[in-house]
Amino acid sequence: MNKKNGSILFLLLSMVLIASLALGACSAPAAEEPVAEEPAAEEPAAEEPAEEVEVVTIEWWTVASEEYTDQVQLDMAKAFEAEHPNIKVNVTILPESGFSEKMNTALGAGEGAPDIAFFWDSNWFPEALDLTPYIEADADFDPSMYVEGFWKTRALWNDTIVGLPLGVGAQFVMYNKDVFDEMGVAYPSDDWTTDDYLDLVVQLTDPEIKRWGGDRPRRPYRALWFNYGPNARLYSDDSTTVDGYLNSPESVAGYTWAWDLVNSGSTPTPADMEVLGTEGTGPIDLFMAGRLAMATLNQGHMLNAVEAGINFGVVPEPGVAGNERFVNAWSLTSSVWKGSEHPQEAWTFLSWWVGPEGQRYLMENGNLFPSIPSVLAEYKDADAEYAQAFFKVLELTQVSEWRNPHPCNSTLLRAVGDVWDKIMLGEIGRDEIQAELDAMVPSAQDALDECVPRLGG
Amino acid sequence: MSTKWRDLSPKERREAVDGYLSISPWFIGFLLFTLGPVLATIYFSLTEWTLTRPPVWIGLENYVRMFTRDPLFLQALKVTGNFVLLSVPLKLVFGLGLALLLNLKLKGMNFYRTVFYIPAVISGVAVSLMWIWLLQPDTGVVNTLLELVGIEGPNWFWDPDWALPSVALMSVWSVGGSAIIYLAGLQNIPPHLYEAANIDGAGKWTSFWKITLPLLTPTLFFQLIVEMIESFKVFTQAFVITKGGPLKATYFYLYYFYEEAFQNFNMGYASALALVLVVIIMTATIILNYTSKHWVYYESDAGRA
Amino acid sequence: MTTPTISKSAYKTPWISPRTRQWLGNSFTYLGMTILALLFMIPIIWMFSTSLKARWEIFVWPPQWFPETLHWENYVEAFTRYPMGRFMLNSGFLVIINIIGEFISVPLIAYGFARLRFPGKNIFFVVMLGTMMIPGHVKLIPLFSIYHKLGLLDTYWPLILPAFFGNPFFIFLMAQYMRTIPRDLDEAARMDGAGTWTILYRIILPLCKPPLTIILVYTFWWTWNEFLHPLIYLNTFDSFPVQLGLAFFKGRYSVEWNLFMAATLVSIIPVLILYFFLQKHLIGGIASVGLKG
Repeated sequence: MNKKNGSILFLLLSMVLIASLALGACSAPAAEEPVAEEPAAEEPAAEEPAEEVEVVTIEWWTVASEEYTDQVQLDMAKAFEAEHPNIKVNVTILPESGFSEKMNTALGAGEGAPDIAFFWDSNWFPEALDLTPYIEADADFDPSMYVEGFWKTRALWNDTIVGLPLGVGAQFVMYNKDVFDEMGVAYPSDDWTTDDYLDLVVQLTDPEIKRWGGDRPRRPYRALWFNYGPNARLYSDDSTTVDGYLNSPESVAGYTWAWDLVNSGSTPTPADMEVLGTEGTGPIDLFMAGRLAMATLNQGHMLNAVEAGINFGVVPEPGVAGNERFVNAWSLTSSVWKGSEHPQEAWTFLSWWVGPEGQRYLMENGNLFPSIPSVLAEYKDADAEYAQAFFKVLELTQVSEWRNPHPCNSTLLRAVGDVWDKIMLGEIGRDEIQAELDAMVPSAQDALDECVPRLGG
Repeated sequence: MSTKWRDLSPKERREAVDGYLSISPWFIGFLLFTLGPVLATIYFSLTEWTLTRPPVWIGLENYVRMFTRDPLFLQALKVTGNFVLLSVPLKLVFGLGLALLLNLKLKGMNFYRTVFYIPAVISGVAVSLMWIWLLQPDTGVVNTLLELVGIEGPNWFWDPDWALPSVALMSVWSVGGSAIIYLAGLQNIPPHLYEAANIDGAGKWTSFWKITLPLLTPTLFFQLIVEMIESFKVFTQAFVITKGGPLKATYFYLYYFYEEAFQNFNMGYASALALVLVVIIMTATIILNYTSKHWVYYESDAGRA
Repeated sequence: MTTPTISKSAYKTPWISPRTRQWLGNSFTYLGMTILALLFMIPIIWMFSTSLKARWEIFVWPPQWFPETLHWENYVEAFTRYPMGRFMLNSGFLVIINIIGEFISVPLIAYGFARLRFPGKNIFFVVMLGTMMIPGHVKLIPLFSIYHKLGLLDTYWPLILPAFFGNPFFIFLMAQYMRTIPRDLDEAARMDGAGTWTILYRIILPLCKPPLTIILVYTFWWTWNEFLHPLIYLNTFDSFPVQLGLAFFKGRYSVEWNLFMAATLVSIIPVLILYFFLQKHLIGGIASVGLKG
């Protein structure tokens, strides 16, 4: 029974005590919610003292992003609650980088998912509530208010309506006018071609100050490839065949353009692009630092450049002479979960949030470009050169019309990734591209045959 | 140890009851939070499951595909195996070396110990970003330093031959964490052994080989097992930096698993992949455990013998 | 001191006194350590320099180690944009509870594995090691289901409960350490009539300060850096821990690197302070002579 051992026992005992105390406090975050509920519940009571309304609480998972910060969305939910005293919205703000992980877990478990959330991955659509009956019952709601392309690709799925499209985004080329002026080069025009792009990139590069003329695609993405023609894609529209698409002359032309770009030495290498991470930020950071004269960016980056006072212009991605021009545009499907216990209230919130009221609120208080043209027209700088150029890009045919019916797209991209890597590394010659693509066909076909029965055509 | 209950004497039975009692917290936790998920994973591995549609029973089809016609599985296995063979010895040697250095009784050592611990505490993503910056071929610090001594540095993460060593280098940089464990092990070596060796005229190297290393074998064994498990489960670097490339040079097993589960939505197949990985690591552990009888020295066993 | 070694030969000439030799040796050690430490510190210095730059200054060419204007306000911005202070407190709370949990469970379990004999022990031990091998992502969905059924989502329970059942890594570590403690100690105690638990808490555990310190340091470090589990189990913004907070600096289209680095740097300070003050328990203990002499 020496002193030291006694003190150890005492230590252990006190730890148990602390543990039990602390565990009691653990429920604190959960317990705080009802406290926060009170002021919200009081407001309607003041308005309608006679009527006792039963308040329904719905869960909403969203992310904080450049387009809508955490605070803007919390305020928006309050504004909604003020209009709808019978509904309380419980907002969960998540980091962008963790949202998919959390949704996959909850949807995979089939429980604990929110009433309303982004269903931005088309593989989640089977878990989304079909909104058709709610839309039919709601006389005020008119689906034709949305950009038609988005309604077709982001709302309709297998004859059901799986959600509403929130906001618009698109890829385009931003160019630094100061660099063009300094080098005495004319600005690109809306009808420029991939050959023009190659010429400009070489002219604008200055190795002395580590400035490149333009960026290079990181993987064979769709808008550029579509520009090369209807067969320049990974597989046929009926999702059965790879041969004749992946290795079509149009595809080869697209890959050859990428090869030329890499070997011009006028674009940053993957290592240069990812100097500070792979979060997809390379081009914007280099563009803003004046080290890229042209960069393939989007509307979020465009607002960065406006804010920083950069002298820039916007053009669509370069096309191919004589072919139709495409744009890679997107909108985020926002849905009600199938397992929701309050689908009617969830629909009320969803149709408000992604309807004109909510999107206007997020446009005026945040940085959202609404997917409703009549609301988008109210944009504060709608007349500015950049906004006009962006709106023009949005008018092009969207390649995303191809995306949702083809969930195996990303699987196929992985299957053909080696050819792309070889081009980026400069490991194959220009005349070897056809043979490399031909050699990829069998394994890509296997991947397609494996994927399509599982995820659909 | 493998005797049956009925062969035990009453005294041994009392000890056995105490044994079961003492491990019961772990066992309860295992039943509550591990057994269920493992059984669920076994079930999922026998199905085709896309997360958002109900699982469809397909028997052993996932395993048949894995072992007969999946080149990506073989690639992932090869890459991960190479990484384990490369990084585990490096981490063992550098971790021990750093610990010996930090064990020197010098003034200000607290400061140095803390400095070497810093790389270990910065979490995965921030570390990965730092390494992208450090190993950047043109402007990165590493290649700039190499240039000073007249060596043209490689393209590191962006070269198929160097990508895997680059990831191994990253893991060596954070050995500050495992050095702590060696440090603790070093404290358990009775000082009188060194004093006796000193009187016998043994030098530092002899002391190291004859005293430090043998008495450190339990720690080394622990580190070997843990580093091996961790290396088999390497994921973050591929996820954040290389995306498995270039040319699938860093297509680690768990990265493949992750792509299958959450990008390709092939959760059934991914579950099968995960279980095969567990079997592989388990086999390696059992083999190492078997060899440990020949090289790991336990004071407590010696006392018992 | 007769065994020749490479490093000694340089200053082994007879006219140097042992004291000078000692001094020289220390100087070389310090020099080497300082160079090595600097190499280890380069990325941190770069993070620090990045955290003091304006947002679009980070990628200019040539790269600047010392920004022309020091933007200390980045630190203020990083802590007001999101409640990083609150997030750090939440993490601190989780750390304390997890440490208590591991301290209660791990020595007990490890003692059974390391020093008690019972049928099936080896199988249990291998199964325990096996649980370390299961990729975390595999268990995610089933665990989410379990905690949902228990009604524990959006509470801290899923983040602290496991600690009270012992982390296999720590159990393994502790067991390995206990195995190196001479058997005579508890045999002697047993002769004196001490029971199993008395031996554990009065004789074995007081000798286990180094592994307990490791458990403390590692639990702090791992809990502090935990991202996936809080992300999955928590919904309430105000209950988020520090890594979820850091993730908010990565937006959809770009990352505010300067703020991200500022927040990251501040967030590792508590871990380092703790380690700085705890290491004496790691180094102290029964032996105070390392490799010297």
